[in-house]
Amino acid sequence: MITIALAKGRLAKDGLNLFKKAGIRCSDYDKESRKLIFMSDDCRYKFIMVKPSDVPTYVEYGAADVGVVGKDTLLEEGRPLYELLDLKFAKCRLAVAGFENRKNDFITNTSMRVATKYPNIAHNYFTEKGEIVEIIKLNGSVELGPIIGLSDVIVDIVESGRTLKENGLVVLEEICPITARLVVNQVSLKTKRDEINTMLVNLERALEDERND
Amino acid sequence: MSYWKTHIPAGVQDFLPDEYYNKLLMEEKAREIFNKWGYFEIEPPSFEYFDVFSESKPSIEQEQIFKFFEPGNRILVLRPDFTMPIARIVATKLRDEHLPIRLSYIGNIYRYEEFQSGKQREIAQAGVELMGIKGVEADAEVIAMAIETIKSMGLSNFQIDIGQVEFYKGFVEECGLTEEEANKLTSLIDNKNMLALELFLNKLNISDEIKRFLKKLPLLYGDSDMLEEAYSIANNSRSKNAVDNLYTVYEILKDYGLSEYITFDLGMVHSINYYTGIIFRGMTSDIGYPICGGGRYDGLVSEFGYNIPATGFALGIKRLLIALERQKGLSKRPNIDILVVFGEDDREQGYAYIEELRREGKCVEHFLLDRHKVDIKEYAMLKSIGKIINIENGKIEEMII
Repeated sequence: MITIALAKGRLAKDGLNLFKKAGIRCSDYDKESRKLIFMSDDCRYKFIMVKPSDVPTYVEYGAADVGVVGKDTLLEEGRPLYELLDLKFAKCRLAVAGFENRKNDFITNTSMRVATKYPNIAHNYFTEKGEIVEIIKLNGSVELGPIIGLSDVIVDIVESGRTLKENGLVVLEEICPITARLVVNQVSLKTKRDEINTMLVNLERALEDERND
Repeated sequence: MSYWKTHIPAGVQDFLPDEYYNKLLMEEKAREIFNKWGYFEIEPPSFEYFDVFSESKPSIEQEQIFKFFEPGNRILVLRPDFTMPIARIVATKLRDEHLPIRLSYIGNIYRYEEFQSGKQREIAQAGVELMGIKGVEADAEVIAMAIETIKSMGLSNFQIDIGQVEFYKGFVEECGLTEEEANKLTSLIDNKNMLALELFLNKLNISDEIKRFLKKLPLLYGDSDMLEEAYSIANNSRSKNAVDNLYTVYEILKDYGLSEYITFDLGMVHSINYYTGIIFRGMTSDIGYPICGGGRYDGLVSEFGYNIPATGFALGIKRLLIALERQKGLSKRPNIDILVVFGEDDREQGYAYIEELRREGKCVEHFLLDRHKVDIKEYAMLKSIGKIINIENGKIEEMII
């Protein structure tokens, strides 16, 4: 039996769609349901629904063998996992955003204030650029930061850019593109090798089919 | 009362009797195997100079080491590892010994880990060092010992995953990468980060053939059949020799009768500045982390001025305990065999009687509470003591429960 941790929400829906194309059906799943565990129709896979930022934790501990989660979460959590497949869905990008007309204001600031849900990513990004910043960890509605004056910029994921636009913000710097990834526990890959390899081959084929559509 | 008075720091634990009994049992099993294989136990001090662990190719990051100062203000550290102190000991105090030298250890190491991932900061280890000899039979001996030790502890359903860092180094050597590029490449391969690896390789100015190979490397894992494929794509002698080495070690482990435990992963390339050949990890599906690790580190002892090769492994006792518990393999702590009850008048006879029982190997408790006020039978039942002996007026009688 393979246990698969899915990030609750759209990632789970898209993930299950892909698994379905790979021959792993889960008719049991109902996004309205509050159930946290679903079995695949052939009872060989167990899907568990967890908070996105918890997916890497479940997989690192081996409580789940496999996880489906956004690259942003993986970068933020920085845990030792095998990252085997780019699942291509949930495309977006990580970016630094702020007010366009203040783009150059903080050159003279010794310490720019960055509001973000991703303190580790923000820290690594600015450190690599040799910039010292003050990171303010928020849990949501990060766009408010610059508007209210809590921070100079934000680091967040940007999909269409609509939320930014509606709040008068623009992307100042791109950090990296993001998609959903398939991660595997380092021990499970070896101890459940045949089962996981079969799943990987099927998923790769499903991704290939999608690309050809 | 202060909160701190009744709590312990993160990353350490109290071992209570039921768990500690099993821990000791496990360590005894390891000690027995180590001794039988001629690996005599030593114990380096719990703290040493930082310099011992800060060699030119560190295998442990400085941030992971607990440091403090001695009065002369040199930096001291709680040992983060046994292998380096043992290399120091061999290089400074055991130079007259005939090679090879076989040593073992059982004890705690200390590492400042981000324990959010369940890692302890005081880590019980048992392990061995085989120093002063190169060659496949030495490589195979430590792997065979690791398997025998884990088996003797009662664990079933585990495997030893073997890699060979020379295989990877052979290709990197051909590429002429900068140190920074090589480190990045190593970490991407070790984490089997397929997409990032592909993107990174596309940026590198190396031949397409090597790119194709490096892209494949993280997927070169499996049973011995995989080695053929690895050999066929190796384009340099260093990498081919590495596969040969693995083949031969595998053949030897077959002769040990242990090949069923062996799998391979040529993409296992962590700490490649430390390891110089075979590298291995033990794992079981009952726990998400490796239960042991080891390999060959021929450059290590020479850091202490004695140029001899070395290989060895360490087992993580706590992880083995967790795995064994999940396999329902833990032993039950024995109960007290006999409760002996007597009053002041029978004291001399009572102690003599207890002494005799203990000499016979029985575990005996002397009942210290007031025998007139406490229900002795109930007491024995609560403590799961199966037998009560009452001594009264010189008469020894079993009290029926």
